[in-house]
Amino acid sequence: MPACKAKGFGREDGMRLIGLALLALAVGLYLAFGGGGRGAVLFRLDPGLLNLVQALVQRYLLPMVWDNVLLPVLEAPAWVIPAVLGAVLFLISWNRARG
Amino acid sequence: MHILKSRPWNLPDSSATPEALVFGRRKALALGAGMLAASPALAQQAALPPAMRNTRYAPGRAITAEREVTTYNNFYEFGSHKTISAAAQRMPQRPWTVKVEGMVEAPREYDIDDLLRRMPIEERVYRLRCVEAWAMVVPWTGFPLSALLAEVKPLSSARYVVFQTATLPSVMPGLRQSWYPWPYTEGCTIAEADNELSFLVVGAYGKLLPPQNGGPLRFHQPWKYGFKAGKSLVSIRLTDQRPVSFWEKIQSQEYGFWANVNPAVPHPRWSQAQERILGIGESVPTLLFNGYGDFVADLYAGLQGERLWA
Repeated sequence: MPACKAKGFGREDGMRLIGLALLALAVGLYLAFGGGGRGAVLFRLDPGLLNLVQALVQRYLLPMVWDNVLLPVLEAPAWVIPAVLGAVLFLISWNRARG
Repeated sequence: MHILKSRPWNLPDSSATPEALVFGRRKALALGAGMLAASPALAQQAALPPAMRNTRYAPGRAITAEREVTTYNNFYEFGSHKTISAAAQRMPQRPWTVKVEGMVEAPREYDIDDLLRRMPIEERVYRLRCVEAWAMVVPWTGFPLSALLAEVKPLSSARYVVFQTATLPSVMPGLRQSWYPWPYTEGCTIAEADNELSFLVVGAYGKLLPPQNGGPLRFHQPWKYGFKAGKSLVSIRLTDQRPVSFWEKIQSQEYGFWANVNPAVPHPRWSQAQERILGIGESVPTLLFNGYGDFVADLYAGLQGERLWA
């Protein structure tokens, strides 16, 4: 039984699968939106969403939270985070499988 | 004996103004004018041409305090919050030109000061109703849009007027949101533009229009919600195509093309039945066409199939 369990679908396989899925998502985002930022992607999906979030943050929280924290995140290319996360997960799983 | 008597007007030669200064006076005046034009702050201090108040458009309410009007602003290029007035001071107001172009016989580009000299400047006290259910009363200085259109002579095929706001990324932080359909664009029909209430604004409270209120040139149609009024205009274009405005592209179900004030048609997220008067906080019933129905209701006869309200 233990040997059979070892050959089954393990944690490394799961990590590798998620990593590949994230890399595929990054490629898909790049093909669909080029170097467009996350804000541009969100705007395409729901044009009114960011306007509402911006109004809530700037009017009821603090204008600089939008300008200095959220805006830089939204300006970054949409594919970067899934690409980095996917690559890291894939490399960890590959490394563990070898070890 | 010849006696020389000194008269008060007999001045010694030493009191005479040097020749170079006398003949260089024009140069000195030109230099002063140049310095004034080069400095936005100095230009801001320049007085608006004298303007008589037109009493035909009595607002029926007290004028809102200047401080309220100049510190509570919607100007999306500077942010979504109301306290953009300090940031807006960085927007240079001179030199400033506005193009009047498109389907006109005589397109031209006006320097703002040239426009101030050419147009029939007057003061009008108008109510302003924001789609966010607040209101104010402002003594605007400006001139009818129809006066400007008469100069450029619209072609008979022109059906719409499109207003475009300046895009100045170095001073407008909102433009960093590259996903929005900048530049800010608004529009109206040629019939609405020709209506006597349609007003191009260059001043408020007897001073040049401050940048946070859309200086040096903004538009105002008091029977429509405030977002229809383009600020800091750089282009006025006549066309036969109905424009899709900035807000219409973002949330067409909330901000339509016509956007006439109507208490009976709520915004999807709040009622429009009442409005809060800025400065005093009092809520009063909203009026159809913001109370200007006598002037504009006939513009919409036969348009019942249109979504006339925001």
